[in-house]
Amino acid sequence: MSGAQMMHARAAPQRWVLPSVTSLEHVTEAVAAPMMDRPAGLRYWIAFAAMAAVTLAGALGIAFSLAYGPGLWGNNSAVVWGFPIANYVWWIGIGNAGTLISSLLLLTRQKWRASINRAAEAMTLFAVSMAGIFPILHLGRQVYFYWLFPYPQTMGVWPQWRSALVWDFWSILSYLLFSILFFYVGLIPDLAALRDRPGKLGWRRFYGVLAMGWQGTPRQWRAQSRLHTIMAVIAVPLVCSVHSIVGLDFAASLMPGWTESIFPPYFVVGAFFSGFAVVVLIVLVVRWSMSLEGLIVPAHFDVMAKVILASAIVMGASYGAEWFSAWWGGDPSDIRLVCYEFTGDYWWLYLLMLAMNVLAPQLFWIPKLRTNVRALVGVSVGVLVGMWLERILIILNTLSTGYEPSFWRTYAPTIVDFIILAGTLAAFVLLFLILARLIPVVSMYEVRDLVAEEGQQ
Amino acid sequence: MTAIAIATFDSEGAWLRARTRAIAAGHRIVGEWLPYASKAIGPGEGRGGILSWVLAGGAIGGFGLFALECWTAVVDYPFDSGGRALLSWPAFIPAPVEFAALTAGVGGIIAMFVQARLTRLSDSVFDWDEVVEGSRSSFVLALGCTVGDDANAAVALLADAGAARSRVIGL
Repeated sequence: MSGAQMMHARAAPQRWVLPSVTSLEHVTEAVAAPMMDRPAGLRYWIAFAAMAAVTLAGALGIAFSLAYGPGLWGNNSAVVWGFPIANYVWWIGIGNAGTLISSLLLLTRQKWRASINRAAEAMTLFAVSMAGIFPILHLGRQVYFYWLFPYPQTMGVWPQWRSALVWDFWSILSYLLFSILFFYVGLIPDLAALRDRPGKLGWRRFYGVLAMGWQGTPRQWRAQSRLHTIMAVIAVPLVCSVHSIVGLDFAASLMPGWTESIFPPYFVVGAFFSGFAVVVLIVLVVRWSMSLEGLIVPAHFDVMAKVILASAIVMGASYGAEWFSAWWGGDPSDIRLVCYEFTGDYWWLYLLMLAMNVLAPQLFWIPKLRTNVRALVGVSVGVLVGMWLERILIILNTLSTGYEPSFWRTYAPTIVDFIILAGTLAAFVLLFLILARLIPVVSMYEVRDLVAEEGQQ
Repeated sequence: MTAIAIATFDSEGAWLRARTRAIAAGHRIVGEWLPYASKAIGPGEGRGGILSWVLAGGAIGGFGLFALECWTAVVDYPFDSGGRALLSWPAFIPAPVEFAALTAGVGGIIAMFVQARLTRLSDSVFDWDEVVEGSRSSFVLALGCTVGDDANAAVALLADAGAARSRVIGL
């Protein structure tokens, strides 16, 4: 699918499905048939095998880390937080975005969410699961991770509630479980549709159990819609608080560059930014692999590209605020840190981060590029790389040059660091590949509503 | 002998039309099944039910965890952490806030299941093809009637309102 083809297929601005999609049955079949009726295909299995292999490598990296300890990583006596914390912040950011996107668009009644919300919510579940691995891994004594949970143990001790680590535990746990509930509430009507669709009895029973006897009566729709909206209202502040807590992991310390009140909102915007980049990539793959050109139209990419562009501007302003407050505040440590960012050991990574996060999305000022597949993929991947660099550089720049010059150390990651990161990336894709064969990655009932509404226009 | 006149409609407009006519003609609507949440169904009764459960769930989870924090940090395990106050309530807030959101969601799910009468995996209506079709693509309307002229009139009304398919089911 080329950019030119996408432009050719572009619908009128106010339409979110192509006029060729007219019947409700068409929507159900367009989404369900590729999943239930068609075999997965060679490309699917190649991707599956490749991702499974890299996931296995990542699992081995984790197993070795558990067996031999953090000495296998690049962390040193000064840079005590390395890849694991950067990966955690990056993944939790992506994870936060899915529910935030879905709930914000639901509350603001954005019709175009119908085609992308399911993928965004699924992204949340998998990304938060990946994020949850890293704080446990970083504990050092991982077998005791359950000590974070309050239970009446024989030693009579309780968790240290003032610790940001305990805050992280509760925020990740609550957010993951809440996101699963939110995802499930939105999924029930579609599970019922799969149950009622002709197909293998075993699968229909599987969906029947998950659908919990959903019939689609007005009473059920009222209850489902009401709860979905209420949960969206809860989800928005929840998401902001989860990533704010991650920001406080840094901001609650006394290290130069970290003690900034801007960190919580800055982290939330960053999460939104990187999350939208992942949604663009996922939706592009779903559209292409399931031939959903009628339900996911170029206008979807146009609006998502605009969100990425707006977020990039806010990110640029955040970086500027960081530099300005260092200069305006006059703290020698902060000024030195800003100078180090541009001239120190990681200067080229810092400039690359600025290029990816601030400059590259400016391409989306050009309307044509907002619906061009190559530009969308290039900028989205760039944003993800840029946001990961931002997360690692927050750690490296500050910890490499703390208050005590005799304690300055440069950080160099090891192969184990990279293998674990690659493993989580592959596991994320692998989970998505499995999900795409199990549940509809586009919300059928919401798109039906959209089709009916646009058909009346 | 009672019966049900049941019909499927391809569009929301046809279903609404049939519904209006059926009510005007004095028929009793015994069942409706929709493929999406039509705005025409209105808010219905018991609007605040789910919200109450959500608020109750959130309050129980949030205040419960906060109380646990206070009790463990002040009474059961008074650990001096760098001279900080035992009752460091500002630092105790983040975890209960997160947990309250989760328990609010759990409360809401329970309320939704109760209100929507879910977990009824087996129901006689699943034997009707129309209902099965309803979850995928059609609007389904069922009217109560008696076998004979009344049933014929109901089916005729449904067909006239634009039903794609209609029939009588004897009970």
